[in-house]
Amino acid sequence: MRSYFIRQALMNIRKNLSVHILSLGTIVASLLILGAFLLLFGNLNNWLQRWGTALSMSIYLKDGISEYRRDNVYSFIRGLPGAEIKRFISKEEALKDLRAALGDDAAFLNRLGRNPLPASYEVVFESKGTHRVDPEKIKEELEKLDGVEEVQYSNEWLNKFEGFLNVVRLIGFIIGGLLCLCVVFIVTNTIKLTIYSRKDEIEILKLVGATDWFVKTPFLLEGMIQGISGGILAVLTLFLGYLLLPTKGISLLGLTPLDLVFLPAGYLILIFILGAVLGVIGSFIAIGRFFAV
Amino acid sequence: MIQLFDLSKKFGPNVALNDIRLRIRKGEFVFVTGPSGAGKTTLLRLIFGAEKPASGYILINAINLNRISRPKLDLLRRKIGFVFQDFKLLPRKTVFENVAIALEVIGLRPKFVRKKTHQTLRLVGLAEKEKSYPLSLSGGEQQRVAIARAIVKDPLILLADEPTGNLDPQLTMEIMELFRSIHRKGTTVVVATHSQELLQATDCRIIVLNQGTISEDTP
Repeated sequence: MRSYFIRQALMNIRKNLSVHILSLGTIVASLLILGAFLLLFGNLNNWLQRWGTALSMSIYLKDGISEYRRDNVYSFIRGLPGAEIKRFISKEEALKDLRAALGDDAAFLNRLGRNPLPASYEVVFESKGTHRVDPEKIKEELEKLDGVEEVQYSNEWLNKFEGFLNVVRLIGFIIGGLLCLCVVFIVTNTIKLTIYSRKDEIEILKLVGATDWFVKTPFLLEGMIQGISGGILAVLTLFLGYLLLPTKGISLLGLTPLDLVFLPAGYLILIFILGAVLGVIGSFIAIGRFFAV
Repeated sequence: MIQLFDLSKKFGPNVALNDIRLRIRKGEFVFVTGPSGAGKTTLLRLIFGAEKPASGYILINAINLNRISRPKLDLLRRKIGFVFQDFKLLPRKTVFENVAIALEVIGLRPKFVRKKTHQTLRLVGLAEKEKSYPLSLSGGEQQRVAIARAIVKDPLILLADEPTGNLDPQLTMEIMELFRSIHRKGTTVVVATHSQELLQATDCRIIVLNQGTISEDTP
């Protein structure tokens, strides 16, 4: 009987091919948007985690620091776990950077008798394994060193970025929910059309003793096939888009460039299952009002 | 086997059947006749559970059709073969598929379905046409497909509404012989017809309907 149901479902699709293609296209588009959102959101989340665990620090040196003491500071920083010295900014470079940042307003800098800006080290700390960086403790230790004027760190903006991500997540849920409703609506209408085109056939099946489930099952399978096909095509399209678009070394807000990674297997399975479940729900609604013979 | 008690049926203001009392025993062969509009088709459809009576009730094997649930009615219909006057064939399915469907809905094994369907199509003389579609067949051939679908499941009751209406005399005799052979196996057969030739050639019970009432019941 199983083979009968599958044959029947495939025949229904074949006989109403144009309607099914249109419906499938819309399902693919909906699941594709959903998948693209998952891809983007998943990556933003990953990046946030990596940036969140990465601490950047500016270590300002006293004016006139000897080379010996500067080397001491350098060696101390190198010895800190997870520390990576990104750049040494000399007093001259700091002034040059400031001049560039001020643009036309930089003229007043010429009136200064001496360069007031300190030299500094720009350091980034990466958390490794279970080890977490304690910025306050590092700051205290560094400020005890001879030749260190001040240490500054900030990850306040990351908290703001996390807040932004929460808003994105909420919007994602709303859009995702609406797209799921859209898929259910499309499948329901497609299956209704199929049922309508087979109205006489259904009546005859009931007259020869077919149970309701015997008649309904091919329509449920039809919805499920639509949903799964939509899911597969959406994932394939998304993967194709992923291959074609630049995904390596994406730089955001001047932070460490990161790669865009594709959806993990769990998410892909989720899209297939979502497609199938939405297809079956759509079919269920369509066959709900079954005519009694 | 089939019992009708004070059965009436109306379609709007029109009375199709009025106060019918009837008992058809197990294994009986009965003709129901009468002029057009006498209520022959309505009577068969009521026995099949395709119509609900306005009053009275029907017992099939002691099952009251007024109180039967949908799933149980589906199961009961598997034991009743019905040859519809308008054949009710599936135009998108082949002759073979149209007949096999009556066994497929029961959930029988595909191998058995194939074997039994081939046998039945041979019996009605349509073995050569099993891959054809109903609309490419003549009226008589379509009627034989409808008969094959009704008898393929070896029903306990066979209801036939004008089963020889589109057949020539030779084929009519062959089909009636087919019904008789099914009857000999123990099936209760009820045939609605207005063919005088058939009625004159039979010694079976004949029920005459007139304006929705039984005017004659010849045992």
